[in-house]
Amino acid sequence: MSHDRPVAALDRAALLLQLVPYLLGKGEVSVAEAAAEFEVAPDQMRAMVERLTVIGLPGERGYWQLPHDLFDIDWDLLDRDDVIAITNTVGLERSPRLTAREAAALLAGLQLARSLPGFGDSELVTGLLSKLARGAAAAPAAVIVAPGPVDGVRDVVDDALRAHVAVTFTYRAPGAEPISRTVDPIKVHIANGQWYLQGWDHLRQAVRTFHLDRVSDPALTDIAAVHGADPVPELFAPSVDDEVVARFRFPRAVAPLLSDYLERAEIQDADDGTAVASLRLADEQSLKRLAARRGGEVELLEPAGARRAAADWAVAGLAQYTHGS
Amino acid sequence: MPATVSRSAPEERLVNLVVALMATEQGLTKDTILSSVAGYREQLEAGASKDALEKMFERDKESLRGLGVPIETIGNRADPDDLREARYRVPTAEYALPEDISFSPAEVALLNIAGGVWGTESLSADARSGLRKIRALGIPVDEPIIGYAPRIRVRDASFAALQRAIEQCRVVTFTYLRPGEARPRERRVQPFALVEYEARWHVYGFDLNVDADRTFLLSRIVGDVVLTRKSFPAELRAGAGERALDGLRAVAARQRALLEVHPGTEAALRLDRRAERASQGIYVPYVDLHVFADELASYGPEVRVVEPADLRAEVIRRLEATLALHGGAA
Repeated sequence: MSHDRPVAALDRAALLLQLVPYLLGKGEVSVAEAAAEFEVAPDQMRAMVERLTVIGLPGERGYWQLPHDLFDIDWDLLDRDDVIAITNTVGLERSPRLTAREAAALLAGLQLARSLPGFGDSELVTGLLSKLARGAAAAPAAVIVAPGPVDGVRDVVDDALRAHVAVTFTYRAPGAEPISRTVDPIKVHIANGQWYLQGWDHLRQAVRTFHLDRVSDPALTDIAAVHGADPVPELFAPSVDDEVVARFRFPRAVAPLLSDYLERAEIQDADDGTAVASLRLADEQSLKRLAARRGGEVELLEPAGARRAAADWAVAGLAQYTHGS
Repeated sequence: MPATVSRSAPEERLVNLVVALMATEQGLTKDTILSSVAGYREQLEAGASKDALEKMFERDKESLRGLGVPIETIGNRADPDDLREARYRVPTAEYALPEDISFSPAEVALLNIAGGVWGTESLSADARSGLRKIRALGIPVDEPIIGYAPRIRVRDASFAALQRAIEQCRVVTFTYLRPGEARPRERRVQPFALVEYEARWHVYGFDLNVDADRTFLLSRIVGDVVLTRKSFPAELRAGAGERALDGLRAVAARQRALLEVHPGTEAALRLDRRAERASQGIYVPYVDLHVFADELASYGPEVRVVEPADLRAEVIRRLEATLALHGGAA
């Protein structure tokens, strides 16, 4: 998150409204900690606090804004120790209600969080759903996330995560024979309804990502997960295995449907409403599925092997409908 | 901006206004506000036109309402439409998080996960801001729930406009392209809910062109969603999320494909989870013919569509087009 994005006056006003209850709740807080909480730079936090001290009640006619009508802070503490402590308030002591949008963002996130093992329809989740709805200033837009089907594999992985032990399972990578793996679980990602486990693979002696749908026969081990807190790369970050440079052409209108690929591609626009994406891949076979999915819209240009693979893939698919059916 | 010089920043004026309106029980008139609240007062004293300042107040009032600050207008009892003597106030009980709402450390830990699901979307900033308000209640936080990174992604440009329209109960128009139709058509819709179903975003609402509830895929909306001035009663939104989900599930229950899948393939992996065994092959429910045809085509030879015929035809069409484009002799 960038610290110096220009914040509109209204956004700054919203932050000031949140700042008072935060400072009251903290008692004393360092400028750095408050800045981190509000996602601003320390000198911006300092400016916000100084600004607060010129804000207050209108006062009586003729005696505008006497000191006790204004918010105030312990200036010595700020100057000497870079610590903020509020010494006088004239309102705003309790947090404002959530805006409709804030509530909607948290409610939708909560619906996804309830698909995590152990949360489900627990009282914790249902209680929170009603508190958030009640704590909103206006009815949030219904933003609904339908949970996908779940299975026992997730529970075993969850048990392993909580017990800090390695988990073993049979893993079937695309186009490969099933193989038994032992993994120190580090993190479970849920993205686009798919579940992935990042963990330290005992076989490869490195962090690897496993699609949970490809996992079967999971079991807990009694091996301590020594690498359970190792750093993990971003999900889908380019890896050292990505050696193939591929290019494909697509109509710009369908770009949103290709964002999984375009996010890590270089894109060159042409004049005719199309564009060409270049990206690195592990394997030239992998794009044939994309080409078939977008049937006739996405044209693989390079490498030649990828073009051939797409044509062969389509031929093999079509053969099922021409022979004996 | 008026020509007069204002030394105070606009956010000071906005917050001064909130403080002033919360401190009053009976409300303040516009005149009192302009002549006493810091930010307006200096400008009035410096000779700014009252007209300009009144406009500024109206704008500020709407901006603050947008932030969720409940500014109440108390009209003239004898003539409620006469706003000249109207008084304005912010009832504390409606401004602040209700006193009886508190959050346990475990709840805050779960909310931290819930607030983290939005990657770089604008909803991410909203979620973090909401969390900040809750954390400011001074709740001790449980140990964070580690080991999970659930994410929701919104790729559709129309999402933000639709969410705003739902919040404000405003009719929208947009251009919608149904696959198989030669040209996109203009739709006029009362939007009620946004629903992510099988990793795709849908908007559910009342389609004013056909006088019936409809669900639209955001990925098929072409161009911008326009918020019209026409609004609809907020009651229509009640329970909309559930109705939308029920609708999608009912469609999926009605439509199912009979497929033959090669075991051990990517197709088997992805489809088996959603499937029901048939005597030969599997039944897989689907919501949208074209979306499902896209997926099945990607599996190439790993799956054969037995029925329905229209789905089968769509899969064949995609494979033929793929072959033609990649230099195959179809």
